[in-house]
Amino acid sequence: MTDSAPAPEESTPDSDSKPAAAPVVVPEEKSPEKQPSSAIAPWKRWAFAIVPAVGVIELVLHVAQTHGAPSDADWERAKLEISLTAKPEDLVVVAPDWVDPLAREKLGGDILTIEREARPDATRFPRAIELSMRGKHLVEFAQWKVAQTKDVGPFVLTTFENPAPMKVIDDLLSHMASRKMKVFRLDRPDGYGWGSECQRQLLGSESGNIGFGPAIPADRFTCKGGEIVGISVVPDLDYVPRRCFLAPPPGNATVRVEFSEVHFGKALHGHHGISVHAERDLTGAPVNILFRSGPIVLGKYVHRDGDGWKGFEADTSDLAGTVGELAVEISATNGANRQYCFEADTR
Amino acid sequence: MSIIDRIDAWFPKGKIGKNDQLVGAGLMIGYVIWLLATARELGFPRDEGFYFRAAGDYSRWFDLLFREPKQAMLQSQIDPIWQENHEHPSLMKGLFALSWLKLYSQHKIFADQSTAFRFPAMVLSSVSLWITYLFGARAYSRRAGLVGAMSLALMPHVFFHSHLACFDAPIMTMWLASIYVYWRARQEGGLGWALLAGVVYGLTLETKHNAWILPAVFIPHAIIAGWGGTGRLLKRGVFPIPASILSMAIVGPLVFYWLWPWLWNDTFARLQEYVNFHVNHVYYNIEYLHKNYFSAPSPRSYAPVMILATVPTITLVLFVMGFGERIKANALLIWNFARRIKDKSLPKSKRDPHETDLLLALGLAAPIAVFVLLTKTPIFGGTKHWMTAYPLLAIFAGRGFEVVSDAMLRALPKAVDEVRRRGAVLALAASALIAPLAVTIHSHPFGLSAYVPFAGGTAGGADLGLNRQFWGFTTESVGPWLAANAPPNARVFIHDTAWDSWARMIDEHRMRADLRGTGSPSDADFGLVHIELHMNEVDYQSWVAFETDEPAYVLTHDGVPIVTVYGRRPR
Repeated sequence: MTDSAPAPEESTPDSDSKPAAAPVVVPEEKSPEKQPSSAIAPWKRWAFAIVPAVGVIELVLHVAQTHGAPSDADWERAKLEISLTAKPEDLVVVAPDWVDPLAREKLGGDILTIEREARPDATRFPRAIELSMRGKHLVEFAQWKVAQTKDVGPFVLTTFENPAPMKVIDDLLSHMASRKMKVFRLDRPDGYGWGSECQRQLLGSESGNIGFGPAIPADRFTCKGGEIVGISVVPDLDYVPRRCFLAPPPGNATVRVEFSEVHFGKALHGHHGISVHAERDLTGAPVNILFRSGPIVLGKYVHRDGDGWKGFEADTSDLAGTVGELAVEISATNGANRQYCFEADTR
Repeated sequence: MSIIDRIDAWFPKGKIGKNDQLVGAGLMIGYVIWLLATARELGFPRDEGFYFRAAGDYSRWFDLLFREPKQAMLQSQIDPIWQENHEHPSLMKGLFALSWLKLYSQHKIFADQSTAFRFPAMVLSSVSLWITYLFGARAYSRRAGLVGAMSLALMPHVFFHSHLACFDAPIMTMWLASIYVYWRARQEGGLGWALLAGVVYGLTLETKHNAWILPAVFIPHAIIAGWGGTGRLLKRGVFPIPASILSMAIVGPLVFYWLWPWLWNDTFARLQEYVNFHVNHVYYNIEYLHKNYFSAPSPRSYAPVMILATVPTITLVLFVMGFGERIKANALLIWNFARRIKDKSLPKSKRDPHETDLLLALGLAAPIAVFVLLTKTPIFGGTKHWMTAYPLLAIFAGRGFEVVSDAMLRALPKAVDEVRRRGAVLALAASALIAPLAVTIHSHPFGLSAYVPFAGGTAGGADLGLNRQFWGFTTESVGPWLAANAPPNARVFIHDTAWDSWARMIDEHRMRADLRGTGSPSDADFGLVHIELHMNEVDYQSWVAFETDEPAYVLTHDGVPIVTVYGRRPR
C-alpha cells in the first residue's frame, strides 16, 4: 500500500469514503516530487535513512541492554573479591544505589550489614570498598582518595581511603546490647518532675504497611505512657536508612535515656532525624534533645521538620579519657507524629 | 492479475472502504488475541482489585435487572450496590460485570474470572488501533494509518494498561473515538453523525473523567475551522454552533446520567461529590529524577520526559517528522494567505475545511498540557494519565512514516520496479516497528518498569531515578519462587497488593493456594517489598521485623530489582 494523501482537489466534502485533504501548499516549481532525484543534494536524498538507522540502533541497544545484567557467577566473584579486600572496620557500599537490594541478596547480610547500610555517616570508616557497575559511583566518596581499583567482571571494585577517619571510642547504640542503659519517663516536658522507669521487654517486633512508620523493634524499652525506645531503622527525609534509637517524645513528658558507662573522648558526635512520612509535611513540632553528664549540659539541639538527617557535635574535651554517665533527654511540645530517632558516639 | 494489482484493487487509492474496516478489525482482533495470550502472566494491580469487587457487586444488580427489571429500578436496590466505587462512572465496571456474568458465570468462555473482567477493557483498548488506522488512513494515507496503529500497539505502557480491567486504556480509545466521530460529523454533516458524536461523548464521560478536558479540543477547533463562515453568520445575528458540539453538550450528559445508576437518585449531590473527588484528588507518591513527589507543585517536565523515556524513540522520530511536516505545510498555507492579502493575483491556497491537522494537534496537546501548564495536576499515575494523547501522536508518527517512505521512493533509481519499491516500503516499516515490537514483548509483565533503549532500558530508568512500578501487581511474578520455597501455609506480607487482588490471585492459582496474606512484616514468614522510593519505609521495617537486611530473593527485570522478598530465619 503505497498510497499518499490525495491532492486537495480530489477531496469532495460530501464523500464518505475519501480521505480528508492534507493541505499541500508547496509551490509546484519547488516540489521535491517534481525534481529529478539526481538534482537533489545527496545528503538530502538519503536523509530518510536516519529513520531505519534509528530503528536499527534502538533494536541493537535493546538487545545489548537485555543481556547485560551481571550473572550469578559475576556476583560470586565480586563477593569473593570483597571478602578478600574489606576489613571489618571498612565500609562496603554498592553503586548505583538502586542495585542495593540485589547486592544484599547476592553478597549477603554479612558484607552489606545493617550497620553499614544504615550508617549515620561515613566519618568513622577508614576505607570504603565500593562495588560499582554501569560506571556509577556514590558522591559520598567523591573527596576520598582512590587507593585501588580493580575490574571484577562487569563490576569495578574501588577502595577509597578516608582523608580524615575518626576513631569511635564508644557508640551509644552498642549500649543496647551491653545492657548498660536505662530509660525513664519524666512527667514534665522540661526534664523535671517525677520519673518512672520504663521496662525493657523482648516482644515481637511491630510493623505494618506504608504509613506505619519505622518498625518498633522486638527488644525495646516500654514506658507507662506507651512510649518506646529501641534500635530501629528509620527512613530519613531522603529515604536513606538510618540505624538509630527510635525515641518518639510524648509531648507532655520527657523521655530520658541513661547510659551508665560511657567512655568519653574529645567530642560527642551524633545525628537525629524524623521518619520521612512524619517530617515531609513540615507540620510537626520541633524535637529537643539534650545531653548531660551529671550536672553538666554537654549539648542541646533542636530538630525541626525539614532538617532531615541532622548532625551535631559537642565538645567533651573536659571529659576525655573518663568513663561516666551520659543522660539524653528528648522532648517536644507536641508529640503528634514525632517518629524521632537519634544516634551518637564519642570520639 | 499480479498480487500488487490485487492489493491496489482491494485498496483503491483515495477511497477508504470496507476492506479498510477489515484491516482495522484485523488489527483490533490481533491485539485482543495478544492481550488474552499474555494476560495470565500479569498480576493484579491494586485498582483492578477494587474494580473486580465493584464489578462483582454490579453483576448482582444486572442479574436482578434481567430477572426483575422493576425491582432493579428501586433506590433500595440501586444504592447499596452502586455505591461501591462510586468515585468513577459505571460504563467500564458495568461491562466488566456483564462480561463476567455472561462469559464466565453463565457460559464459561474464560477459565479465569479475571480474564472475563478484563475482556471488555482489552477489546475497547484494541478498538483504538482500528480507529487509529481509519483516522490515519482518512486524514493522510493508509501507510500513515497502518504504521500509526501499529506504533500505538507497540508502546510498552499502552500494552501494559490494555490488559487491565481499569479505565486508562479504555479512555484512551474513547478520547480518540470522540475526536474521530466529531471529525467525521464535520465531514459528513447530518443529524445522524451529530447524534453519534453526542452519544460517543457521553460514553467517554461515562468511561473516565479525562472526558472533561475534551471541550478544550472541540471548542477551539470549531472556532478556528469555522472561521470565515462564523464571521458572516455573526453579522446576520446568528451564533453558529456545530450540531455535533451541540449534541455533545446535550446528548453527552444525558448518556452519562442514563448509564450510571448511582446518579439516578440524589443526582446533584452525588454529581458534586464525584467532581469534588477528582478536583481535590489526593496526591499519591511517585519518583521522578530521584525525588519523591507527593504534593503540588508537580514538575512541568514530568510528562515530556516520561514520554521521551517510555515511547519507543523510533516512534517519536517519526512523530517529529510527521508533525514537523504538518507544521511546515500549515505555516506555508498561512504565509500564502498573508501574501495574497497584499497581492490578489497570487493563486488561492487550498485549505483543509476540516482543519484535520489542528484537530489532531489539539487532541494530542490537551492531555499533555494539563501536566505541562498546571502544576497542581497530580502525577502519580505516571504515563497512564496522558495516554489519551498517544493515538494522536501515533497518527502523526504514521504521517512521518509516509513522508519518510516517500523520500525513500524518490531516492531509489527509476529502474527499480514496483515490486521492489513496495518491498522497500515494507522493509522501512519493519525498521520502524521491529524495535518497538521487541521492547514491548520484552517489557511484559513489567510494563511500568520498561524504559526505551535510548533511555537505557529498565536499568536506564533506574539510573535516571524514574518510577519502577506502582499498584503492587508484580506480586504474581514472585509466585513461582514462593511456591518453591515457602513452607505449607506460610504467611506472606503482601505489601502494596490490594486484598481483593491477592484473593483473586489465590483463587486463580496464580499464587500457591495455601499461602496466607498478612498486613504486617512482623506477622509474616515472608515479606514482599514492591520497590518504589517511598516504599523504602517498608523495606527498612522489614529489616527490623526479619532481623536481617539480606533478602531471601530479589525479583529482577534486566538486572533491576522489582520486588524484594525477606524470609524469617530459623532461630
